[in-house]
Amino acid sequence: MKKTKSVILGIILAVISIVSLIPFWLMFSMSTYKSEQIFQNNPMIPSDFLAENLKTIFSANFLQSYLNSFFISATVMVLSVLICAMAGYAMNVYEFRLKKVVNIFIMMTMMVPTQIGIIGYMIEMRNLKINNTLLPMICVWLASGLGAYWMVSFVKSGLPMELVESARIDGAGEMRIFGSIAIPCIKPGILTLCLLQFLWSWNSYMYPLVFVNKPENYTIPIFVKSLASAYRTDYGAQLAGLTLSTIPVLILFLFGSKNFIKGITAGAVKG
Amino acid sequence: MNKSMKKYRTTWPIIFLAPFCICFLLFNLFPILYSFYMSTLDWAGYNDKVFVGMKNFINIFTNDKVFWKSVLNTLRIGLVGFPVAIILGLIFAELLSNVKRFKNTLQTANFLPYITTPVAIGMIFTFIFEEHVGILNKLIEHFGGDAVNFIGTAKWAPLVISIMIIWRNTGYFMTMYLAGITSIPEDLYEAARIDGASRIQCFFKITVPLLKSVTTFLVITSTIYMFQMFDEANLLFTNQSSSTVGGPQQSCLTIVWNFYNQAFGSNPRMGYASAMSCVLFVIIAVVSVIGLRLMNGKEED
Repeated sequence: MKKTKSVILGIILAVISIVSLIPFWLMFSMSTYKSEQIFQNNPMIPSDFLAENLKTIFSANFLQSYLNSFFISATVMVLSVLICAMAGYAMNVYEFRLKKVVNIFIMMTMMVPTQIGIIGYMIEMRNLKINNTLLPMICVWLASGLGAYWMVSFVKSGLPMELVESARIDGAGEMRIFGSIAIPCIKPGILTLCLLQFLWSWNSYMYPLVFVNKPENYTIPIFVKSLASAYRTDYGAQLAGLTLSTIPVLILFLFGSKNFIKGITAGAVKG
Repeated sequence: MNKSMKKYRTTWPIIFLAPFCICFLLFNLFPILYSFYMSTLDWAGYNDKVFVGMKNFINIFTNDKVFWKSVLNTLRIGLVGFPVAIILGLIFAELLSNVKRFKNTLQTANFLPYITTPVAIGMIFTFIFEEHVGILNKLIEHFGGDAVNFIGTAKWAPLVISIMIIWRNTGYFMTMYLAGITSIPEDLYEAARIDGASRIQCFFKITVPLLKSVTTFLVITSTIYMFQMFDEANLLFTNQSSSTVGGPQQSCLTIVWNFYNQAFGSNPRMGYASAMSCVLFVIIAVVSVIGLRLMNGKEED
């Protein structure tokens, strides 16, 4: 009885997972086809055109686009996580006036829909004369409301105040305490936020759409779009590019998945 | 001692909070405020600005059918997609929490849709649901049915986007719930089992209520996300030869797509689009205040 139950459960979960994976598999499998032949065969079974498709994208400026995307997301990841962690540290370690106000402020930043300010943001970037660079696609992610909110709860549950106080008595400076005590204590939270910030900026579509206006600044989504023209859309090459673009997030996720679960537990659940 | 106390009460908090506050004010809040100002202008982005007062807002509320259509579209797509994704996420998390082997593998498999680039999702969904060569229609024809034009008709296209939302988010929601379930103490379930509660009773009487904070979090973030929906709808139609705005009969024109098209389309109306973003801001603010109340209520418990 118990055995049949667990077999059924196993089958259900397997089916669910397969449904989750089919589009993902299709992306890879279709990237091995010549565009014109994708629909003449069963696209679930890979073909042999992958090398040609890769040649196509690398002879266009895929590498440059990839590096641009990577530069943007890596910068966002490092800076935004640092900024949010600092905010989370301050909110837990210090007592100061206006703390309640700042707390509500952080809550509100989480709710502010940044995307709808995009017109004002574009004008601002234009006036700062950085609208033709990669910076607009970085700056907007730096102060992540959700990130700060999470960091406040990560630090709350991960960093014992006694540790901070004893470090102070031992004569450690605040920056030192933050860097070598607080950060290691909230490592799962930090890694989770790193993954999410990388993911969100990596997959971001609307900001590049507005700000990228020359091939040197292409990010991957814009590059992929540029492979479609009025005469021929090279689906095979597009999908090859997209398949390659999932690699960094996949690596981040596979290496950090244990931390990721822990991080979410501490952040969303207890927060 | 006094001096160092002061350092802990003013200097250090300011140093640690400044980067966040400055970046937020500069790159997130200021643009929105600037959009508020621009909503009173008639401006294409390059010509002279003309101050028109509240005229843009009056236009939106009195004779802009497309705007209200886009609001309804957004609600239609989101209210079909997100609740299903949240409920499925909860059920899958419950199922998965009973598994011992392969738990991590299954979880990773289900999380993959969330890390896939929206551009790829848009393309793949086009390939699945396309009328003539789409995989789903091939299957339907294989079993003797008639091909359905899923993407080209106003009846089906919004549903395809809802399915995209479900497919993309279920695994993410599941991971959130799974994290919540692992933090529920096991002895609660043991006590319930000793009292003779069934699995289903345990699920509804223990798991669901104790996951309320996760549910609240997911509902709020999904609602905010829903009102800003753009990628999914836009990408389902960009790869088609005819570059229609909004899909068949504009049935997939979401609020932000409409806004984007007004601001950056072929006939830019920056002022008018800004007014739209203000209306959207108010809608989201109301939803957020309600959400904030709910979350604060949780803290007082």
